[in-house]
Amino acid sequence: MNILEMRGIDKSFTGNLVLRGVDFSVETGQIHALLGENGAGKSTLLNILAGVLPADSGEIMFDGRAYPNPSIQLMEKAGIAFVHQELNVVNDLTVSENIFFNRELTHPFGFLKTKEMLAQTRELFDTLDVDIDPKAKVSGLKTSEKQLLEICRALHTQAKLMILDEPTTALGNDEIDHLFAILKKLKDDGKSFIFVSHKIPEVFALTDAYTVLRNGRLISTGITKDATPTSITKDMVGEKFADEDLYEPRPLGQALLEVDNLSGPGFSNVSLSVRKGEVVALTGLAGSGASELMQAMFGAIAITGGEVRIGGKRVSGQIPSFMRRHIAMLPSNRKENSVIPDQSVLENEYLAQHAISTGRQLISKKKETARYGEFAQALDIKAQSPDDAVVSLSGGNQQKVFLARWLNIDAEVLLLDNPTQGVDVGAKEEIYRLILKLAEEGKTIIINTLEIPEIQKVCDRCVVLYAGEVVATFEHEKINEHDVMLYSTNAINVVED
Amino acid sequence: MAENKTNWLGTSVKNHSYVLVFLLILVVYGITISLTGKQFSVGHVSSILSAQNTVIVGSMAIGMALVIITGQIDLSVGSALVLTSGVTACVFNMTGNPLLTLLSALACGALLGAFNGVLAAYANIPPFIVTLGTMLIYRSLALWAVREIPQEITGSGSSQFALSRDQEAYEAMRNVFGTGSIKILGFPISFTTILFVLLIALFVVICQKTKYGKAVYAVGSNAKAAGLAGIRVKRIQASVFIVTGLLVGIASFIQVCKIGNITPASSGRSFEMYAIAAVVLGGIAMAGGRGNMLGVLFGALSYTAIDIIIVSIPALSVDIQDTFQGLVLILVILMQSAGPILRQKFARLPRVAVRAD
Repeated sequence: MNILEMRGIDKSFTGNLVLRGVDFSVETGQIHALLGENGAGKSTLLNILAGVLPADSGEIMFDGRAYPNPSIQLMEKAGIAFVHQELNVVNDLTVSENIFFNRELTHPFGFLKTKEMLAQTRELFDTLDVDIDPKAKVSGLKTSEKQLLEICRALHTQAKLMILDEPTTALGNDEIDHLFAILKKLKDDGKSFIFVSHKIPEVFALTDAYTVLRNGRLISTGITKDATPTSITKDMVGEKFADEDLYEPRPLGQALLEVDNLSGPGFSNVSLSVRKGEVVALTGLAGSGASELMQAMFGAIAITGGEVRIGGKRVSGQIPSFMRRHIAMLPSNRKENSVIPDQSVLENEYLAQHAISTGRQLISKKKETARYGEFAQALDIKAQSPDDAVVSLSGGNQQKVFLARWLNIDAEVLLLDNPTQGVDVGAKEEIYRLILKLAEEGKTIIINTLEIPEIQKVCDRCVVLYAGEVVATFEHEKINEHDVMLYSTNAINVVED
Repeated sequence: MAENKTNWLGTSVKNHSYVLVFLLILVVYGITISLTGKQFSVGHVSSILSAQNTVIVGSMAIGMALVIITGQIDLSVGSALVLTSGVTACVFNMTGNPLLTLLSALACGALLGAFNGVLAAYANIPPFIVTLGTMLIYRSLALWAVREIPQEITGSGSSQFALSRDQEAYEAMRNVFGTGSIKILGFPISFTTILFVLLIALFVVICQKTKYGKAVYAVGSNAKAAGLAGIRVKRIQASVFIVTGLLVGIASFIQVCKIGNITPASSGRSFEMYAIAAVVLGGIAMAGGRGNMLGVLFGALSYTAIDIIIVSIPALSVDIQDTFQGLVLILVILMQSAGPILRQKFARLPRVAVRAD
């Protein structure tokens, strides 16, 4: 039996068709993957289901009832819970207060039944095998725990169908396993899920069925185990997809960037030497210190010992000093750390150049636009005009604008922190190509990422960190998922014990 | 093509709504004038331009706009005006030198602004609290000084700072920088108004054509991202207070020339609120990161016009006038914030989807 059936959903914005006659159904007790690139129409479809947007035409049947005019309140009451990618927990309240947020149990006159709410939260956590203290402040929780908290809250509303929008982006591997175990258990209890993810392995590890959208159309739908990663990826990206091996060995130059016994918050005594034109991956699970190490190499966090050298000369000070020595960092979490939301594409691109050339204050927009044009062509930035708001671009194109931000100041060393985060499959491929092209041109690139297939695709070398220290280094041909995971989870030492 | 044109019109109206607000207020002004039986004329408009509020509050509002664009606030400008005017008057009375007087006004204003800026940006105290504190400090210093400093220096015996008539340059100061004007198209425009318009033009250029200006907006829009792109965020945050201080210096110089004196107990009261009102009427977002400097010109004009309208209605006593100023301010903001929501509700114009990816 289907808990959800959406039929012939059409939706357009300003005459732009974003959904064209999409059918989508979810069986009761099923985890259903909804897949597609950014802009494929997934979000619009889910927003229509959750009552956030009205559809232009089409039918929605949920739990045996038709919903011709869904609203947020109505769909919530019907039993649909939307767990958004951005965490919507209230940091200043306790775990239990968050579970009961806006649905508090009260005595007459509005006094809270704190004890009862705590007890119910405990009970809920026990049944789910969740190990979080109901009395803890949410601000002190790990991201993964916050994610679990959100799911628990949705469950507590007695939701029958839960929409999980990329729930694993912020999680480490252990945490993902734990989450999946919980989801499978809930599935056995008869709950249904829509699971949105860009990570294909997760789709195969978790889901029963899948639906792929592309350009607002339904492309394919079926049972997950009857499909293959290649077939699904092809459905998602269409013609342009080619899972070819991009990597080719290149001649490398002299050692350019040297990190000598560097210590700082989250990492200690890290030494590393990177040659000109080399692409090196830093990898490690959350808490490994890889991201902090990268930030220290850009002057974004203070070091407590050791030094960073470029071309044999020590670099110290704050971010602008590192930028003047041609080191650049593309930070993780684009929305928070890169995007200037109120400014145009051009202004966003020129931000770094403006920051280090304050001697000449006047801007020539004509010159800037011309130079932007060169980068837009080289990096294939798809924007109608440099004056467009940067937030109007897709994630992949935004990321290219921020890459251009650094190429614009002639950066020689590019530190890329999780560069394909929240970027869809097709654009990821494009970013890999760009990385290799830049390395070919002699740029030195360090990538911090958890995605090992990504590392295999582009990196000459892979450095694995665990608990703030370098535990292994693999040359390109030796990089494989199994070995890297063995070291990044420290499982290698467990085996030896 | 036709669609493009309406879009262009739509975005222009949206980005320059402060002009509409001003025109609307002018219409109301015209109606109140004709209700009293007089003829509405260009002279009424030029009087708005030359009003003390437009020039003095407007100059400070330019600085306030920069502070607000970086996502901060400055509550001390009214008090800083009083203290700086006091210093300015004293320097004039001691030296009789207009140039030194102007420089002292700028230096004093900048110093007071720097104190705010350093505390807000480098000591990590919320700007609201810092400037609330200095609002009390600066006025109290002026109140204390006016009694402690000998009368020959303050220029007045009645708890005021005033320009001394004994100085040779007194007449020149009052006439040129105070009441001086030239006729443009037959209407007298005061020098100070011209100065204010030039200041606006200067800051429009700074905001749109300089790296500093772009950085100010970037810091207000996303300080963390700006910092990671190499912008020295704290420096920018502190600098806008110093710029505000310089503008307070200019406003103080105009104040002592135009009015001839300043009374610490009563002058410049609520000017910080008037400056914020002008900024808001000028369409600059209180959340930071967005807004056009040209809006401050119209915002200041709108604010003065509202003031004149309310004062010109004989039925309103002085005591109730602030009530109406407050109401008009809330109304304008309501229009700006509720407008888009109402349009969405009723016209079913396309909305931006909540993106899940």
